[in-house]
Amino acid sequence: MLYYLTKRLGLSAVVVCLVVLVLFSLLHLIPGDPATIALGPRATPEAIARYAEKMHLDEPVWRQFMIYVANAATGDLGLDVFSDRPVTAIIMERIGFTLALVGTGMGWAMLLGIPLGCLAAVKPNSWLDRITGVFSVGTIAVPSFLVSIWALLIFAVHLRWLPAIGAGEPGDLGDQVSHLILPAFAIGLSWVGYLARMVRASMLEVMGENYIRSARAFGLRPRRVIFGYALRVAILPTITLIGMGFGGMISSTVFAEIIFARPGIGKLIFDAVTARNFPIVQGAVLVATGLYILVVLISDILIAWFDPRVRESL
Amino acid sequence: MPKDATHAPDTLLDVRNLSVDFRTPRGRVKALRDISFPIRKNRIIGIVGESGSGKSTVLWALLGLLAKNAEVTSGEVRFGDRDLLHASEAQLRATRGEEISVVFQDPMTSQIPVLTYGRQMRDILYRRPNVTTVEKRRMAVEMLGKVGIPDPDKRIDQYPHHFSGGMRQRAGIAMALLTGPQLLLADEPTTALDVTMEAQIIHLLQDLQKELDATVVVVSHNLGLIAELCDDVVVMYAGEVIEAGEVHEIFHNAQHPYTRALLECDPARIDDVSRKLPVIPGDIPDLTKPLSGCIYASRCQRAMPICRQQTPPTITRGEMSLARCHLLDGPHHDPDWPPPLDVMTVGKGEAGARKPARVKRDDPLLEVSDLNVQFETVGPLRARLKGITQRHVDAVLDVSLSVAPGETVGLVGESGSGKTTLGRTVLNLVPARSGSVKFEGREIRNMPEGRFKPLRRDMAMMFQDPVGSLSPRKSVRALITEPFQIHGISGVNLDDEAERLADMVRLPKPFLSRYPHELSGGQARRVGVARALALNPKLIIADEPTAGLDVSVQGEILNLMTDLQAEHGLGYLVITHNLPVVRHIADRLAIMYLGRIVEEGRTAEVFNRPVHPYTQALVEGVPQPDPDRRRVHVSISGEVPSLLNRPKGCDFATRCPYAQDRCRAEKPPHVTMADGRRHACHFPLGQ
Repeated sequence: MLYYLTKRLGLSAVVVCLVVLVLFSLLHLIPGDPATIALGPRATPEAIARYAEKMHLDEPVWRQFMIYVANAATGDLGLDVFSDRPVTAIIMERIGFTLALVGTGMGWAMLLGIPLGCLAAVKPNSWLDRITGVFSVGTIAVPSFLVSIWALLIFAVHLRWLPAIGAGEPGDLGDQVSHLILPAFAIGLSWVGYLARMVRASMLEVMGENYIRSARAFGLRPRRVIFGYALRVAILPTITLIGMGFGGMISSTVFAEIIFARPGIGKLIFDAVTARNFPIVQGAVLVATGLYILVVLISDILIAWFDPRVRESL
Repeated sequence: MPKDATHAPDTLLDVRNLSVDFRTPRGRVKALRDISFPIRKNRIIGIVGESGSGKSTVLWALLGLLAKNAEVTSGEVRFGDRDLLHASEAQLRATRGEEISVVFQDPMTSQIPVLTYGRQMRDILYRRPNVTTVEKRRMAVEMLGKVGIPDPDKRIDQYPHHFSGGMRQRAGIAMALLTGPQLLLADEPTTALDVTMEAQIIHLLQDLQKELDATVVVVSHNLGLIAELCDDVVVMYAGEVIEAGEVHEIFHNAQHPYTRALLECDPARIDDVSRKLPVIPGDIPDLTKPLSGCIYASRCQRAMPICRQQTPPTITRGEMSLARCHLLDGPHHDPDWPPPLDVMTVGKGEAGARKPARVKRDDPLLEVSDLNVQFETVGPLRARLKGITQRHVDAVLDVSLSVAPGETVGLVGESGSGKTTLGRTVLNLVPARSGSVKFEGREIRNMPEGRFKPLRRDMAMMFQDPVGSLSPRKSVRALITEPFQIHGISGVNLDDEAERLADMVRLPKPFLSRYPHELSGGQARRVGVARALALNPKLIIADEPTAGLDVSVQGEILNLMTDLQAEHGLGYLVITHNLPVVRHIADRLAIMYLGRIVEEGRTAEVFNRPVHPYTQALVEGVPQPDPDRRRVHVSISGEVPSLLNRPKGCDFATRCPYAQDRCRAEKPPHVTMADGRRHACHFPLGQ
């Protein structure tokens, strides 16, 4: 296990380095001088020179890269172009909102999608199964920004049940939760469909296994057979899917956060890209990558926890 | 349904007029038709039949666990005062696992891999709320100990994959007996196990049945197992009970022609190895079509016109015995039927000299000497981190073997003995570490694939799983001509070749346009043989050529292999664990244990006078299809050790009944005896 963790963390570090390299290259592939790009066409030559020196832009590219990696390793992701505040601090302010959104979105999708998939698989071709099938395909097909806009129009503008924009008053939990509902609904909806389909497919396969027949032949209750035996095995591929899904969801928060004007990583990246605030873009993408790698690692460890055969092969 | 619903007091469960249909896309399959038989208390009853006979369907019907597309069209299953066919789901659930329990066919797949035995067994006891968890665990530990699992209080916390096949089946028996059921059903309980394990499980079931006064139903196709274990026997064919009776009646005085034929086809029963094996021609009838007359008429050696028109009469003798055949009663009664046991009733036309005595040539086709194959178990980095010095296991250890043209060599061993690895190494599919493999005098070990490929025309493989080794998307015609395309052979008419090969393996022409899923096991085997023969090879390596085939069909494949050998002078290396089969086709045998050949010699000599104790155990391990020849003791105990901890001395020393100190200390070298036999034993038997 320790060996496995070491190996995985080592590999993760390599992936992060590659991501930094790609980000860095992109910045330097954009034609023109980074300082001019960052400060815009109307910046004075003095300002550009000052900026270039502060950002080590006068150094060779490989040195810039080394400096960035070395700083990033100590948690220093550079300074915001406009406010001069540390990028790390800005990201930390915002990341909570994104995590809350992604967690809630995936959370409700799991709570609904997994049982739906189970029930559909237990009674294949029943009306529940058919409805689940149509619902899954429907929700997967509709992009989340469309769901966001419709949800906003119906529940916030038309019915006025829920607030439309922002993340709620700091400190007021009820207000924050009510601001979370619509965006979480929007980004989670297609995942209900994904999860239901995935769980249904693997449950159908597992329900045909000999050990499920054994459990039924020993007279166990159907609920025990389905949730205690079949789901325990069928959930394993779904865990991997959820792990990878978190990554996809972080990118879909960009839309949700823009539409609902929520302060989060997605909105931060969008604003930074529009304003050509590259230190922020770099830092935020790096943090998002790190989060993604972490979640995938956690999902792999969860699988090992559920399946003794995987656990022992680590 | 008969009106006299009172049953004999010693009947525990009574199956009456049971009929089951399966709804399939091809139409309704009448899988069971009017099945009736009693299960008598405190006895072991065997249900025997070939694939498609419906024997497993009966078993699942007793539990109310038939497949979703099954429909019970008539009948009842009386268990006490209940009818299990019409009981509610809740009633059935209270019966299953508590009053009626099951031992499953394949312990590898029938136990959930992610829960410990302790948890699985506690779940089975869920209906006892007033028994504490601690008490349940104690009951489970006790039962695991009873079925012969060492250290049960530790092993109960392990998962199924920690157990070997034999141990898993023991645990499966423990789970089934945990609640103290009145009736134990066993579905092919030893089919997935090796010979030495099979013997142990048979004896365990017998002992437990006596000790617990249980009633046991064993479903099997293995006549030896039925003869050794059972008191009563029900013989099924194509969804009907065609004969039933006490075990001695069935095995010594079978009334129905099918039962007779089945017994005669069992290679374990035939001592005369100079003849071809008898077979039952034809296939099981299509059960979707309307049936009339006797179900067996189309394959019966004694079929008369009336058999195809009229349902045969049922002749009962006493409480249990019945047989359904026109020969036994009515206008077509034949007083001379059944003939004495030594008269063969099937395959008469095929009898005759087996194969001409082979011209023994000096130069072997295949010569393997001192071959070693190792598998890596731990990666180099992990080995360094954990300080493991031994990173490899020896899968094949110092193996020497030769096959001459026209000769059949049987390579026999239990699972994990390295026999398949050896076959794959010869075909250059697994790299060898040292030693030599010569084909027609030419060294071929670890030859680069580019140079080896032309040789693959001369060496063909018959794979173990006949259907799984055929691409499901290709027609039989495409499959058997595929070797020509693989080797880029042009200038042959593929259609002609396909027909020539189909002829050679006696596969009817219309089958050429079928797909693998439309073939029966025997037909899929024939396609496999045709593929192997396509390029006129000189050597065929056959991996378990009869695995999964019914007794009546396996003779056909073996006879076909023998004929083709006589015609083309092929050399065969037959890899198998099935001793009765290999005894009929092999000229020489090599017995493998843990990757090493422990004995090698001419087949008859090895069988009649084994030199190595392991060979002796294997030969005695085959259950005989004769209830008078039941074994009283198991010749060897324990199981094959893991390759990871190969014993220091003789590999077999941990299980050998004759092992002495020297056996545990030093590995016995291979010794060639005066008559050319080789063995690796410090104290050879009969010396």
